[in-house]
Amino acid sequence: MAPEKIKILYVDDEPDNLVGFKASLRLHYKVFTAVNIPQALSCLDNHPEIRVVFCDQRMPEKTGVDFFEEIRVSHPLPVRILITAYTNVESIIDAINKGNIFRYVKKPWTETDLIAAIDEANKFYMANSMLTIKNDELQRAYNELNKFAHSVSHDIRGPLTGILGAINLAREMDDAEEMKEMMFLMEKSVKKLDAYVLSMHDYYSLQRGELKITEIDFHQIVDELKAIYDINAKINHVAFNIDVKQEEIFRSDQAPLRLIFNNLLSNAFKYQDKKSKTKSVELSIHVRKSVATIYVKDTGIGILGSHVGEIFNLFYRSNSVEVGSGLGLYNVKSALLKLNGQIEVNSVLHQGTTFKVTIPSI
Amino acid sequence: MNTDLSFIIIDDSELDSFLTRKFLKLTYKEVSISSFQNAQDALDIIGENAGSDNLTQTIILLDLQMPIMNGFQFVEEFEKFPPEVQKNYKIVVQTVLTAKNDPNDINSILKYGTVKSIIQKPLTTEKLLSLFEQ
Repeated sequence: MAPEKIKILYVDDEPDNLVGFKASLRLHYKVFTAVNIPQALSCLDNHPEIRVVFCDQRMPEKTGVDFFEEIRVSHPLPVRILITAYTNVESIIDAINKGNIFRYVKKPWTETDLIAAIDEANKFYMANSMLTIKNDELQRAYNELNKFAHSVSHDIRGPLTGILGAINLAREMDDAEEMKEMMFLMEKSVKKLDAYVLSMHDYYSLQRGELKITEIDFHQIVDELKAIYDINAKINHVAFNIDVKQEEIFRSDQAPLRLIFNNLLSNAFKYQDKKSKTKSVELSIHVRKSVATIYVKDTGIGILGSHVGEIFNLFYRSNSVEVGSGLGLYNVKSALLKLNGQIEVNSVLHQGTTFKVTIPSI
Repeated sequence: MNTDLSFIIIDDSELDSFLTRKFLKLTYKEVSISSFQNAQDALDIIGENAGSDNLTQTIILLDLQMPIMNGFQFVEEFEKFPPEVQKNYKIVVQTVLTAKNDPNDINSILKYGTVKSIIQKPLTTEKLLSLFEQ
């Protein structure tokens, strides 16, 4: 299939000129014409993908230069080319200098002139649109960088100043028991720092990494997860139940998939209600018709209704009891975006939280 | 030293809260200290005690960056208590941020009448003493 024709608009008050223009160019381009300014404006409104606008300088209501000055503000994207005889050079030079027109084609034009002009204008248009896209990307990256700079000062300096304070205090401490208690708290701070650095690494590999698709054996992944979380389950008396059903081939990227499991499971274990007698974490994975449906269900402290909407935001923490970086669920969401997956949360305060994840096979 | 003084520590970091408590004990041997990991809990207690005829001056050592309710929000809520409750308390803000690296300029918290000063973490005995010489 041939690439879509570039769309151009020609504005001239003489219908004969419009017909001639369209006749010579319609093979190469999709040509729109307008016989007056209002028609031209409505054409630009209806076809925002028009890349090049030609306008005759001498029009009854307005000069071409004035028209361009106007649409430069109202329709800034299309490249503006003036068509004119050598009559009022001054005003054309002025318009070019003000940036209102890209270039001009002198009358009477030849087809070669026009094609060359459109070609140049199109390159300019493409370069500009690329620049806009890149600019948006940069702006987004900058905003995230700002958030990071702020979080670094708190999430990294926070535990560090705590440890420094503890070292200062240790100089004035004699009691070994007290010292041990402090060491335990210091260890927690160091672990928090370490977890932060690890999730930071996850964050970057998710943002920058390419997808690596392989066949996924959920039974194998679950065996590995079991090995990791069984220890935690035993120490904290949490029942860890797993149910996997996979009878078909499932393709996805291992790394983001593991990240999702690890974050959801470690949260499920971390946010258990310490006082509760029956603590459990349930993981179920069912693969059917090329979709993996995953439930991670815990009997934990739950999430306050008003916080549920925010838990996937960068650096959001809804709880002060346990250490959290505010990166975990944000990373889960980014990973799911990569895998085209969805996540839903259902939480009842003091009863528990269920995450439902669906991921299509790729 | 003045023993008619009590302290409330509000800090989500267990280690920082432990340190503040120990430094206070080193400086004032006999003093009542209560600590909270969640600013809302502290507000609730202050509200409950508001009725009682407790005239002890209380210093609130307040961390700024906390989940759920941060230091700014705490002060905002605290200043809704009637003046006769507020006058029993003085707030001292503790933070790891410096005015230089914080976009929301931490110094702006000083515009609240109940906030007396800001100290940079980590806390030291010197910093605590300099606070009460004022």
